[in-house]
Amino acid sequence: MDVTRRSVMKTGAAAAAALSMPYYARAQGRGWDKLKGQTIVVNWPAHPHYAVAKKLLPEFTAATGIKVELDEMPYLRLKDAQVLQMGKPKGDYDVCVYVIMWKTEYVHRKFLTELEPMFQNAELAMPDYDRGDIIKGYYEGLGLVGGPRGYLPGPGAKLYGIPYGAECSVLAYRKDIFAKHNLTVPKTYDDLLAACRAVKQKEAGMGGLTSRAQAGHQVTAGWLLHLTPYDGLVIDDKYLPRVADEPSLKATAVFKEIIDTGPAGGASFDFGQMMNAFLQGQSAMYLDTISVFGPARDPARSKIADTVGYAVHPKAAKYSGELGGFGMAIPNNSERKEAAFAFIQWMTAKAQDVKASAMGGQPMRLSTLDHPDVQKVYPVDVYRECLKIANPDWRPIINEWTEISEKVLGVHLSEIITGKAEIKPSMTEAAAKIKAICERAGYYKT
Amino acid sequence: MTSDQPGQSRLVPYFFALPAIAVMAIGLFYPVLETLRLSAYEVRLGEAPTSQAFRGLTIFAEVLSDPSVQASMLTTLKFAVIVVAIELVIGVGLALMLEGKIPGMSTLRTIFVLPMMIAPVCVGLIWRYMFDANAGPINSWLSFTGWQPAWLADADLALLAVCLTDIWQFTPFVFIMALAGLQGLDSSLVEAARVDGARLWQIIWYIKLPLLMPILMITLLMRLIDALRGLEVVYAMTNGGPGLATELFSLHIYKSAFVTQRMGHSAALSVCLLIVTTVLSAALLAVNNPMRRERA
Repeated sequence: MDVTRRSVMKTGAAAAAALSMPYYARAQGRGWDKLKGQTIVVNWPAHPHYAVAKKLLPEFTAATGIKVELDEMPYLRLKDAQVLQMGKPKGDYDVCVYVIMWKTEYVHRKFLTELEPMFQNAELAMPDYDRGDIIKGYYEGLGLVGGPRGYLPGPGAKLYGIPYGAECSVLAYRKDIFAKHNLTVPKTYDDLLAACRAVKQKEAGMGGLTSRAQAGHQVTAGWLLHLTPYDGLVIDDKYLPRVADEPSLKATAVFKEIIDTGPAGGASFDFGQMMNAFLQGQSAMYLDTISVFGPARDPARSKIADTVGYAVHPKAAKYSGELGGFGMAIPNNSERKEAAFAFIQWMTAKAQDVKASAMGGQPMRLSTLDHPDVQKVYPVDVYRECLKIANPDWRPIINEWTEISEKVLGVHLSEIITGKAEIKPSMTEAAAKIKAICERAGYYKT
Repeated sequence: MTSDQPGQSRLVPYFFALPAIAVMAIGLFYPVLETLRLSAYEVRLGEAPTSQAFRGLTIFAEVLSDPSVQASMLTTLKFAVIVVAIELVIGVGLALMLEGKIPGMSTLRTIFVLPMMIAPVCVGLIWRYMFDANAGPINSWLSFTGWQPAWLADADLALLAVCLTDIWQFTPFVFIMALAGLQGLDSSLVEAARVDGARLWQIIWYIKLPLLMPILMITLLMRLIDALRGLEVVYAMTNGGPGLATELFSLHIYKSAFVTQRMGHSAALSVCLLIVTTVLSAALLAVNNPMRRERA
């Protein structure tokens, strides 16, 4: 047998292809071939993480033959569209991205498909998907419903979503401003407030800490960041309101001071304005989700790219950070559940998580944090510390949470921080309204 | 066409009107009736009304006694009265100033109506940026005064900011309507007044404005209804805040539907808005109905 250069190359190519087959085969479920040619409709948010994720879609279609039609909208509008679609016998969406605070309500209203049986289906599940590699807090916090209090991990909890764009809180600060005024990086809320006052006093045109505070969902989210560190609660285990208790009042007073010493007009900031105030140099600190990591080092969005340091969410009575963000789920009325499940797995698989994170997305796998490409662009050590204190009970994700957050706390807190109402009477009134909502919902029936 | 022509049925005019009536019935009456029906049920978004959810008129009693609804109604009335009054004064004033033959008038008119052509959500976003306390042009222009207000973070200023935005967007509508009215006036009346020695303000006050009144009434009515239904601009600018300071009634209805998801309450509030709008319109037309005057 003649061994020619061409035959060697052919054999080499065939061997390479054969060697790569097992990986390719593992990267997809066995039965994904039959899904080729299907088109799924995905409803997801306009958000920094999803802007990165969008770049992976052509690769998904090339790998699986499944086409994706995107319905992208501001994240607070998602619920309107999703409830309308999922309430119909046949909906248009095959994949819905929900915000953590809606998960219990969606499951309660039977909108979502349970995912565990799909993971048990060898035809559909990616063999090397490795759910144990997903950051535990995110997996449990975003995905599980039906456990204690309806939303915590534990007995009765079932999997309805996979975290994607999940978040915990982090403190970002301007190293140059802190050095200039000889400020220490805040480890406690006392340090934080001292830094806020110092910056407001010494740095013209700059506020201490930027915060979301627009009436409605945003002001509640801004306040919640400080509530659990002070050991405050919205409702207790018996669904009784605790927003007028001493720890919650203290947290509210701290929140007001943060707004007062923050950038001008902070009391009307939504999430985007809040982050931009930091990125454009109008505040010396940012204490919110890790979604700041990507934009902060993007010179097109940030004037402060080289000057940002990161630290763990400061301690008050205890360490307690945010746990939130988005999860991907399959509506019960989807007609292409298998393709939708393939999409969710592929997007959240190890390889894609690394790619998205290296481009500025939010890592959600432990192995991603170990990847050198990700370590180059992420403050991974701080991120790991933040994850340790991320609190799955950061807010009560009961069915009525949206109403409590937007219509009660979202109004009272807004009035407090703008000086229209005093803290104690206003929060006492808010507590009465929360109690009425819980009563209407039947939580106090014996 | 008259029905007493030979061989023509009296029903023929109704036959020709039928398509329009059908369109009205489907496009207008059906949604109104459906809203009325929904207002009697305690149902959430995405749920169908069932007999268990029937609550009759109790939802109306509940929403009307809700202090946040009353606050929202008051804010809306305040907003509507302020913006419509100012828009009428500025719009008519501009029309009176620019009614003469001015070179480049057609270009000017196009420029004037541009704000009206922008989608309200975009208007809200544009003005939210304009009023931004840090980077907004308005505070930049005010910098020489030393006054740097946090427009959207102050309850009183936020309502003022929303009013100014509406005035910016809809004064051109009043201007165009008034200008069209002025250009349609019989010039001989104005000439006669001049010959009689009337001054400019007398010509305006005693001749032009009374003749313009039918058009102004229609304009007032359209703007008032629009102002009472205003939603998108305030949604984009303030989301009703700070607190409830800028929560217009339509925004309250929207939040009832999509935040608390109480569709019956949202429908009941919509019916209330419909009644308020209808009563106001009827009252205005009772005072000065241009169509009745025309017929006379």
